[in-house]
Amino acid sequence: MKQRVLWPAAVAAMLALAGCGSATGNEPSSNSASGKLVVWDWKSSDKTATAYVEKAKADFAKKHPGVTVEFVAQPFDQYYTLLGAAIQAGKGPDVMMFNGGGQIRDRVDALVPLDQYVSPDKQRLTGWDAFTKDGKVFASPVTLQGHPIYFNKDLYKKAGLDPQKPATTWSGFTADCAAITKATKATCFALGNKEGAGIQFFLSAFGTGTLSPQEYDDWIAGKRDWNSPHVKQIFQLWKDVEANGLNSKGGNSTTMFTDAFGIFQSGKATNIIGLMSDIGHWKDFNEFLGPDNVGVMKSPVIAEGAVPSLPFDGGIGYGVAKWTKDPALAADLVRSLTSTDALSTFYANAGAVVSDTTVKAAEPAVTSLVADLKTGKPALHVALSSKTLELMGRLSQQILDGSVTVDAALKQLGESDRS
Amino acid sequence: MPLGDFTPLLARPARAGRADGTGAAPPRRRRTGRLSAERLSPFVLIAPAVLVIVLFRLWPLLLGVNFSFTGDGDRNGAAVGLDNYAELFADPLFLGALRNVGWLVLLLPVAVAIPGMLATFIYLHVPGHRFYRSVYFFPAVLSPVIVGSIFNLLLSFDGPVNSLLGLAGLGPVDWLGDSNVAMFTVVGVHVWATFGMSLVVFLSGFATLDPALLDAARSDGATLPQVIRHVIIPGLSRTIQFVFVTTMIGMLTSMFGLIYVMTSGGPGGSTYLPEYYIWIQQGQMNRPAFASAASTVLFLVMLVVGLAQVSFLRRTGKED
Repeated sequence: MKQRVLWPAAVAAMLALAGCGSATGNEPSSNSASGKLVVWDWKSSDKTATAYVEKAKADFAKKHPGVTVEFVAQPFDQYYTLLGAAIQAGKGPDVMMFNGGGQIRDRVDALVPLDQYVSPDKQRLTGWDAFTKDGKVFASPVTLQGHPIYFNKDLYKKAGLDPQKPATTWSGFTADCAAITKATKATCFALGNKEGAGIQFFLSAFGTGTLSPQEYDDWIAGKRDWNSPHVKQIFQLWKDVEANGLNSKGGNSTTMFTDAFGIFQSGKATNIIGLMSDIGHWKDFNEFLGPDNVGVMKSPVIAEGAVPSLPFDGGIGYGVAKWTKDPALAADLVRSLTSTDALSTFYANAGAVVSDTTVKAAEPAVTSLVADLKTGKPALHVALSSKTLELMGRLSQQILDGSVTVDAALKQLGESDRS
Repeated sequence: MPLGDFTPLLARPARAGRADGTGAAPPRRRRTGRLSAERLSPFVLIAPAVLVIVLFRLWPLLLGVNFSFTGDGDRNGAAVGLDNYAELFADPLFLGALRNVGWLVLLLPVAVAIPGMLATFIYLHVPGHRFYRSVYFFPAVLSPVIVGSIFNLLLSFDGPVNSLLGLAGLGPVDWLGDSNVAMFTVVGVHVWATFGMSLVVFLSGFATLDPALLDAARSDGATLPQVIRHVIIPGLSRTIQFVFVTTMIGMLTSMFGLIYVMTSGGPGGSTYLPEYYIWIQQGQMNRPAFASAASTVLFLVMLVVGLAQVSFLRRTGKED
């Protein structure tokens, strides 16, 4: 009978399949065949980054001719999800790109400390703080990311103001805004807070004009007092700016990337807190407004005793995975990716402000940015964990639409920051 | 051959029992052996299907549940008991997401009634019904990302919808930026985008409706509401039941794209749904085990809601 033949076969098949099903080891293993390094990032597929990647590859090939390097560009909005899956599985790329701050600090368990490999670069590059946790460096910075306040010089001229001398006090700044709004109908700020990014930029840009130098350094060092009057002042200012009609309308439903930048580029807003690299930066604005109309200013003084500075950190950098076979080899690739030659190409093509202090800048807005780097300090929001940042984004939206008070928001943020 | 083997499967043991009731033991034992093989054969035959379900559905589900009792980050892989669940139910954001699920359940009758009413009108041959039939179905072929982008433009603060409201003398509404409005906006767009499929299901249900009943009702002088209440709804109870369940599942599991594109869970977390929460925890916060706990809760919620719906609808179906 047919069943008789089938039955043992089916049992055997069942056992075999069950065997497969229970084989779920979680042992870290490497998929990097000898002589091949895999790099994950979200940049290498950009046209503006092609030459940079080529330069870095060539530099690495000189040192290690036998090793092939493969760049795998992932979509940015999926990047950390995919990376999370790779980390969970304990296998994946040998070298990977990270945003500085919370994104890398949350994942240092999967990374090799690079201090011993990259010490020759320590002086030449800047922005290490964003890739450092507990005194160990986990990635080399490629670009710098900061939050300068850009302004539209053309609108200043139209309102009869001198664009070479932006206001240095909050009252002067708002008076200028009022004059410009009267003359041109442009709002003071372009605000995009749909992703909750608006508050991050606001905190970092105007925090330098509010906190005293001591409070500032304490904040970065992790001693954050969310109940201090100055911190409260920043968040109250966030609320007041909206209440006084200084923001472009509908900030909670406008994306920072890229609708808010669009508002600024089209001259409908005078100021925007932008970025230094990647997107929403001087190079983008130059294209629309003309290089001569893009101004950069530091925060006006909001509270007595504050010393405004440019908030900046390491923007993106490359780290080495713990599961790679030869960490020294992978670290060498990281060094090639941060070589002066490669980085100057990246600056020239992508308009990113790179971490290499020896790369020379040309455009007016960049020149003043680079000049501010010397006195610049790490941005306030980058010091926060991604959990607190996410909470701050939500609370900032609720402050804007009035469903949460500033005090209640600061209480929640303090609790989240301490845990 | 297979048929020959199969049909007697149920019949044979009974017959054999009766025939051999007084017979000797040895032949009986031999026959039982053969019979048990025959009895087992259906199980063997369904084994591949069962195995696929067990291996690719139930086993991963169990792994996921098991994973939810472990920690993240520093405590990666360590058993943490119910810590994740305790944290989950202390998180106002997750509770907000569950509250939004409650809203979805409450809005469900509306989401079912809209395609139901429109299908009724098409079935009753309102002028232009052929045109409406295809037009109503059209949004169902659009991906949520495209639908979301279209409505992002339409509903932006300085967008056309607010301009129209302005013309009518009404103040602008921040459709996606006001935490009291945003959830209803997203649900409304979701209903707009998906009701075409339910409409088709309703129309196919109407195809099974006996037109004689309608004619009888009409000749008895029934009004349109009476026809709907006493003829159409009872006649379509199974279809309505089906649409209820599929619409609920659709709302709970496929609004991610719309939320992602339209509000990113905002403003202030007011449009969070559990699946979006799971994604944020796994993808942005790098907490896969915690996300597993949230997934387990979502699974249980779906199970409870689904079973409650089916039993509720079955009962009302019987009353009719």
